[in-house]
Amino acid sequence: MLNNQGARTSLQVAPLTIQKTRGGPNGGSSDVVDSTNGCLDSQMTPPATPNSLQENCNEPVSSPVFHNFLRAFYPFHPDYVTSDSTVTLPLSEGDVVLVHSIHTNGWADGTLLANGARGWLPTNYCESYDPEEMRSLLKALLNFWDLMRSTLVNDSEMFGNQEYMKGIIAGVRYLLEQTQCLTRECALVQRHEGLRRSRKSLLSELSSLVKTARRLQDAQRMIGTEDINDVVDEMILKAFRIITKGVRFLDILDDDRRSRIPSVTVMTTLQEEVLIPLTPPADPASLSATQNYTTAAETRTSDCGEYSGPASSTGDAAQERVSCGSRLSSGHLQQSTNARRASQNSLLQTNRLSSTISHRVSLAGPSPCSQPQNLVSERLETCHDAFLSHLGSFIGRLQLQSQSRPSLAIAIKQSATSGGELLLVVDVVCAHTSVSVDALEQARTAMYNRIQDLVHTARDILSNSEPEMEEDVIVPHDNVRLLGAATGCVKATGECVAKTRWVIERIGDFEFEFDNGTLGIDFGLSDLASISEEQFQHSQPSGAESPSVAESIVSETATVSSRANSVTSATPAHARSFSIDKPLPEVPRVASPVSEEPMSHPSLLAVPQPQSFLFDGSNSSVVSSVTSLRPDLPPLPRISTTSLPTESYSPTEPSAIQEAEFHAFRSESMTATSSGSGSTYLSRDSESIIISQTSTRATTPDITQAPKTQPSLSNLSVSESLAPTDDDEAESRLLEKTYAHELIFNKEGQVTGGSLPALVERLTTHESTPDALFVSTFYLTFRLFCTPVALTEALIERFDYVGEAPHIAAPVRLRTYNVFKGWLESQWREETDREALVLIKEFAEHRLTAVLPSAGKRLFDLAEKVSVIDGALVPRLVSSMSKTSSSLAQLVPADTPLPATVISRSQMNALANWKIGGTSPSILDFDPLEVARQLTMKQMSLFCSIMPEELLGSRWTKFGGVDAPNVKGMSVFTTGLTNLVVDTILHFEEAKKRAMVIKQWIKISNHCSLLHNYDALMAITCGLTDTSIKRLKMTWDAVPTKRKDMLKGLLTTVDFNQNFKVLRARLHDQVPPCLPFLGMFLTDLTFVDVGNPATKTSDTGLTVINFDKHTRSAKSIGELQRFQIPYRLAELPDLQQWLATEVERVREKEKAGANAQATHYRKSLLLEPREAQQLRTPIDGPSVPIASSMFSWMRGNAGPSQA
Amino acid sequence: MPSKFSYQPCREFNVVVLGAGGVGKSCLTAQFVHNEWIESYDPTIEDSYRTQRAVDGRQVMLEILDTAGTEQFGGCHSAFKFPFASLTPSKVAMRDLYMKTGQGFLLVFSIASRTSFEELETLRDDIIRIKDDEDIPIVIVGNKADLEDQRAVDRAKAFSLSQRWSAPYYEASARTRTNVDEAFIDLCRQMLRRDDNPDDMRDDPYPLRADDPAAKRRRRKRRKEKCAIL
Repeated sequence: MLNNQGARTSLQVAPLTIQKTRGGPNGGSSDVVDSTNGCLDSQMTPPATPNSLQENCNEPVSSPVFHNFLRAFYPFHPDYVTSDSTVTLPLSEGDVVLVHSIHTNGWADGTLLANGARGWLPTNYCESYDPEEMRSLLKALLNFWDLMRSTLVNDSEMFGNQEYMKGIIAGVRYLLEQTQCLTRECALVQRHEGLRRSRKSLLSELSSLVKTARRLQDAQRMIGTEDINDVVDEMILKAFRIITKGVRFLDILDDDRRSRIPSVTVMTTLQEEVLIPLTPPADPASLSATQNYTTAAETRTSDCGEYSGPASSTGDAAQERVSCGSRLSSGHLQQSTNARRASQNSLLQTNRLSSTISHRVSLAGPSPCSQPQNLVSERLETCHDAFLSHLGSFIGRLQLQSQSRPSLAIAIKQSATSGGELLLVVDVVCAHTSVSVDALEQARTAMYNRIQDLVHTARDILSNSEPEMEEDVIVPHDNVRLLGAATGCVKATGECVAKTRWVIERIGDFEFEFDNGTLGIDFGLSDLASISEEQFQHSQPSGAESPSVAESIVSETATVSSRANSVTSATPAHARSFSIDKPLPEVPRVASPVSEEPMSHPSLLAVPQPQSFLFDGSNSSVVSSVTSLRPDLPPLPRISTTSLPTESYSPTEPSAIQEAEFHAFRSESMTATSSGSGSTYLSRDSESIIISQTSTRATTPDITQAPKTQPSLSNLSVSESLAPTDDDEAESRLLEKTYAHELIFNKEGQVTGGSLPALVERLTTHESTPDALFVSTFYLTFRLFCTPVALTEALIERFDYVGEAPHIAAPVRLRTYNVFKGWLESQWREETDREALVLIKEFAEHRLTAVLPSAGKRLFDLAEKVSVIDGALVPRLVSSMSKTSSSLAQLVPADTPLPATVISRSQMNALANWKIGGTSPSILDFDPLEVARQLTMKQMSLFCSIMPEELLGSRWTKFGGVDAPNVKGMSVFTTGLTNLVVDTILHFEEAKKRAMVIKQWIKISNHCSLLHNYDALMAITCGLTDTSIKRLKMTWDAVPTKRKDMLKGLLTTVDFNQNFKVLRARLHDQVPPCLPFLGMFLTDLTFVDVGNPATKTSDTGLTVINFDKHTRSAKSIGELQRFQIPYRLAELPDLQQWLATEVERVREKEKAGANAQATHYRKSLLLEPREAQQLRTPIDGPSVPIASSMFSWMRGNAGPSQA
Repeated sequence: MPSKFSYQPCREFNVVVLGAGGVGKSCLTAQFVHNEWIESYDPTIEDSYRTQRAVDGRQVMLEILDTAGTEQFGGCHSAFKFPFASLTPSKVAMRDLYMKTGQGFLLVFSIASRTSFEELETLRDDIIRIKDDEDIPIVIVGNKADLEDQRAVDRAKAFSLSQRWSAPYYEASARTRTNVDEAFIDLCRQMLRRDDNPDDMRDDPYPLRADDPAAKRRRRKRRKEKCAIL
């Protein structure tokens, strides 16, 4: 997705009819109606894919441009905003909105940065916001947001890794740098008071965010007891405010610049330099912002004209409108809107209070991508999150005042089950500590009691409820009890998990195999499990009135149900009061405040449509015909992601059936979104995926969570009063040099690109240990993207420039030293790295010694040593890349007795005889199992000797493989084996004998397969299916069917179809010892190398190293290394030697100059000549005599050897 | 053109890319298969080498089989030669398997390497032997056309080979993405034509028996006209 941003320019607007339509307040002269009808039609028939939206467009953009940020151009305060159920976002002029998706009808789902509220807003009130100076910051916010929303990353990973904070800091720095306001002393800042203030306010906001982030880290370490969720929400809000302030800052600067335009000519050249045009002008010569905007509007309008009729007619208006004032001039206007917003805020505030509990709680349900988690800490997190989400969902339901009994029973069951799972984890941790931890035991008991309490309460309520009550609704009084019990659970659980984390940290994380799902497998917890089970049996019968519905709900994941809960409850209310049909409001006339009149619209009286109608073409066309009187846009898309206050809803509880329906609807919309066939939304893709699969985190941060409840621009004075130390610290952080903005991440937070300094910075980051894959990839592959000297220089530079930031200098310098140390100790490659040694020594002796004397000395000593000793000082593990404790654990223990060899005395004698020069035995003389074993041992020793660097940059394909002797050795042996198979079969004159050899090889390959030696399996089956062998009909007729079937089975394993699908699947789950097919890895590595460019372009236009490519190589190499573990089998050196000699013998034949293929084929033809009807000769037609035709294909061979 | 033109199901073909190591054939494959808008190319997934193209209005699904990375040790290298390795192209175990399932072949050499050109002869012999079919669709590609200053294979030589085999010749460059698609698409056309006319007879103006030498000569003549240079 991020690559789309590269294509974005300020002139491109979302490929929708985002237009500044002007219409009268009453909005409907007949001609407008007509044209809009056409427009409606075109929009009601969604194109097959989002791409086709662009088809009519002349732009050569291959994918739709999606604007992540919009800025309100007009205030938008429809009356219904204030109604409880609405989710329309009120806008003030100048508000910046983070867009999540845009419906084709022109409504966008967005989050208002000013207060974090989320809702629908009309895109025609907005323009895209992406000024050059802000770009880095805006991008950082997107990353920040995506990370928060991502369920693939867990919290500790997320915020242990502070790169995203860095991104925002770097973004602010970039903004100030671009605007020449980096330091307080800048001429521009000194001159302009408003600018100075704005800058200061921005910085204090930043430092506030930094502090919050630190608090989050503390919370993670369990120093504080603060709820992490609150902190995360707060951080999001703060990040928003940074953007808001940044926008404000830019506005002031812009105003200032505009006001100075007339005087540009009299300015000093210095000042002129300062005046970089803020909006990238369409015409570089033009400095006037107004002109730029006009151009933009023109372009936009003409674009729009391609999609929809009415746009062109409004073009003039738009132009006119645009030209009267481009970016917003601050001042009084804002004042008034702020006042209004304040009142809204308080309203929203009360509304949102109730929804806070389930806010973020719901996010942690099982995501489809989550992998089996064996680490106990991970498990703890997962269970905790699952439990909380169940409880959260449950509590959310309680808020609705009414609760159907089946759903209550199910909710309780889910909660208790997940609670039991959590307790299981806690018990495992308890059992794992040698010293008993009293505090933890207590907390565990408390939690246990609470859960039991909850279950009992629920049971009581369920069994006591009066049978005559309709709908099996739980009375409000009971709700209070349930609520109390559930909140107690949440509290107790929080404490218990906190204690457990603390213990885990003390004793260290460990792996533990949890049996998923079955509570019965217990570690002292069966009591609870059985209790809960029993209780369910009590509660189930009473709650089982609608079992099928119950079933469907049980099958829902926690996330879905909790989200669905809040959403469903929102939807009916929304549909009732607000109508499904929702046109885009008309754009107001110049500066006049809008009063929307949708309430008077006839379609409002329409009965709410079935929930699925949005995705149902026929239904919606009905709607459109109903509403065709209006000059307006199609319906407002159903809100699927906005979390809404639940308290204010009418007490009619959506029944479980409705809920189930809604789930169906959800999944439908999911498909629509992901396949693009529905094309209902145009979204940032991460957004759409996350939205449809998981709940959202902090979609609407609760206002009360924010320390400053009035975050908008009006409180500049408030931030002014912040302590100056904050400011100073922010200043120093800003001035701290960083390359963080030169890194590119993927959605999982992995680095996929970056400049060398940025990568080095990442390698030596002080905030956290960089992840293992990154470090190993870097060490393994750095020589491919920079020279050792360049790396040394970058590291030294890092060592130097971090000195400007005293608070992080010490850890970073230590890490820099560690990188050097690791390089010299275990990654040094004398032949290439030698040239960097002088630099390293110099650095160690002087600069490093000056700061860290002992480290300097150590490094110097190391540098001295590497130049003397060839190779690594610290012997590298056979597999240094990906050998984890788990893979080592799979090794056969050393004391396991070796399997007995299968070789007879006579066979031994035959070999001994051969060794002293006697006749060579035949392959038929040996037991296939033993041949397979010795073959495997021989191959494995070759395979294990392959060094990772041989596999980099397609080295083995270059210069005849001199740089990759072991890869070459292995490949040559395998190829030789194939030829040996063919050679031994063709060796015999009689078909029966040949059949025996074939049979023998099939058996051998079968044993190879059982030994997981896929390399030999491939080689032998290739030999058996060679053209020269395959055509021997008489021979194959003599091979037993049983063996032929065996071969067929083996061939499916090594089938190359669908890119070795079968083999890859096998290798994926395979535990060593195993010998994979080397050729597959070589092909993979080759294509990673040639298929991915060396560099990529970042959003800011910088060309950076494509680290993703190297990560892929490293992963592939790591996968190969995973198997570099020897077999534990008894060696038979004589047999191995004989096999090697046989392979060598065949190879020698080849070397002698004859084409092995040709020789084999000729021999094959001699053994079993072509049958009469096969005499169609390849080249010369049937008239040529058989004898010559037989060899006619040989003619070509003369060519190459002579040439 | 064949009469059954419209509304045909998507055809699937296996295309084998062959050539000595270091001629950049894997670059050709990657270029052809790799969608430009995919930011990073993962060759380990199931459809890494599959691509669907429209050829003359018909949808064709191509599976590209390429032993890239495994044939170097017998291959030839323009920059560095081993005393014997370059003369004896050793067989890659996989290659035979690929050849067997291949319906069309892209024979690649580097215009900067004479030996890589000479190796084509052996490759074609192997193909014809394994497929037992002389008319198997083949396209000859002289890769690295951007290295004109290092040219070691004259165009004339390549053309004469092209005529001898009646297989079209393209000079391509994976680096500049020149003639990459063209070469593959040409191969598709040949395969489609064979597919439509199993006897390769239907579009022949003089329908004769398949093994009639005269017809073959005519067919060969017809193919000869297709030669493309940069």
